[in-house]
Amino acid sequence: MNVSKDLIAASAIPFILAILKQEDSYGYAIIKKVKELTADELIWSEGMLYPVLHRLEEKNFIESYWQGSEKGRQRKYYRIKEEGLTELDMQKKQWDIVHSALSKTWLNLIKKKEEFQYV
Amino acid sequence: MFDLAANIRSWSDLLRAKGDLSEPDIIELENHLKDEIDDLITIGLSTEEAFLISVKRMGNVHAISKEYSKVSTENLWKHLMLNPDGALDSGQNRKYIAMVIIFSLVSGTLFKLPELFGLNLLDSENGVLFFKNISFFILPFVAAFFLIKHQSPWKTPAVIGGIFALAWLLINLYPTYSPNDTEFLTALHLPLFLWLITGIAYMGINWKTTKARMNFIRFTGESVIYGTLIFCGIIVLAMFIQAMFFAIQINASWFIQNYLIVYGASSAAMITIYLVETKKSVVENFAPILAKIFSPLFLLVMLVFLGVMIGSSKSPFIERDYLIAFDFMLALVLGLVIYVISARNPHERNTVFDYINLALILTALIIDGIALSAIVFRLSAYGLTPNKVAALGENLVLLVNLAGLAWLYIRFFLNKFDFKKIEVFQTSYLYVYAIWFGMVAFLLPILFGFQ
Repeated sequence: MNVSKDLIAASAIPFILAILKQEDSYGYAIIKKVKELTADELIWSEGMLYPVLHRLEEKNFIESYWQGSEKGRQRKYYRIKEEGLTELDMQKKQWDIVHSALSKTWLNLIKKKEEFQYV
Repeated sequence: MFDLAANIRSWSDLLRAKGDLSEPDIIELENHLKDEIDDLITIGLSTEEAFLISVKRMGNVHAISKEYSKVSTENLWKHLMLNPDGALDSGQNRKYIAMVIIFSLVSGTLFKLPELFGLNLLDSENGVLFFKNISFFILPFVAAFFLIKHQSPWKTPAVIGGIFALAWLLINLYPTYSPNDTEFLTALHLPLFLWLITGIAYMGINWKTTKARMNFIRFTGESVIYGTLIFCGIIVLAMFIQAMFFAIQINASWFIQNYLIVYGASSAAMITIYLVETKKSVVENFAPILAKIFSPLFLLVMLVFLGVMIGSSKSPFIERDYLIAFDFMLALVLGLVIYVISARNPHERNTVFDYINLALILTALIIDGIALSAIVFRLSAYGLTPNKVAALGENLVLLVNLAGLAWLYIRFFLNKFDFKKIEVFQTSYLYVYAIWFGMVAFLLPILFGFQ
């Protein structure tokens, strides 16, 4: 199933911040991680990750440094900063609110359906 | 055989050509592509398949670069010239361009108008008359451009127009007697005074706020730079025309002197204003780069000059004429310092360029102090003349400004307060300049009996 573009865009920042919270990482690895976590359901236009990383860096949520890989490829690693952790917490709370509200709604829908079946 | 390296290169060249990405950005994206291709090859795809899929996954190059342009900090002309609809909607933009063309033509023609009555402003005997009036051929149109752009309520144009008209009447009604010192001083200070008035048109209703004034200072600096560049272009064009027609034994210099330079200068001014103003709405501008190139160079020149002056114990202020020229040099340095401040990101921590700026201020302060002592000496030795009074005032105004900046800068380094305070000081100080320029242009001639 394809998740809508708006939803992908909205979830990009919490995804990136959460992944960076576990460990420093670089663009391609972040994308791989997202794919893994969502079982390929969330399809990012991969190039779009980088402008988002830039913006996060500009907002002081993350910082970057270059490091060579075993293949001799220079990689730009990103590290989460204090501000980024605060932002992540806030985003988490917001998503929790949406998530719990939606869950309740779904639950009500199911209940109604069941009542209807018993009648 | 599929050449992977060449294909990756042409893909990254496509990104490069868009111009919104810096080289590190491109390397980052390129390495992402390579990683992905490697992974796809290990699961059994051919090189070509892997390349195609990776490129597809990366997404549309145009869309990526457009996203970058929103965050990137190094694009200027490209946006403005190649993709103006990004910054302005195109109808609006066409209106501005039409205004630029019309105003340049009108301003050039206005300049030619006195010739109909046998008064050629370019004749050397009319030199002072020409300089005195030059601002009226250009600045009202610049002001009009901004007033129309901002769609200001009738009051602002009325006040600004009134000041322009009054200034024009006054300076042309003032008589002048030999040795014409005051007339010359008026010619020198009037454009500066009127530029500040034009600034009100530029800033619009926010003209009292620090932010708008800082913008105006930056705008002034960039106008000077781009104006010079464009005018140099016109001179190259003129030389080119001269040489080409000379080759077929036709002398084109009458055309160049009478038309190309006149219309060229007026349109250079209008185009500059338009470019710098539209550029403002584009993400980043050129100012920080220019500031970083020129402030160390100026510092070096000033230090060497100061060293040589002290070492050879020669004063550059023996000759009276040098005094005013020297003030302009100091003003230029001050202009650079302020430009650096305006180009600075106020939230940044202090950088090496702040120290260079402080060094520049201190050096200028020392030189200004020496100049001031020379003037005071001359005043006591030879009595009051308009030139000396003007020079004295100029140096005092500069001295206070420089000292204020130095004091605030040092306090800023000691972490006493925000950088914003420096901006507030500098923008408020514009009042002093406006008053002083106005006084020299209009009051000094009366005080010295128009001599």
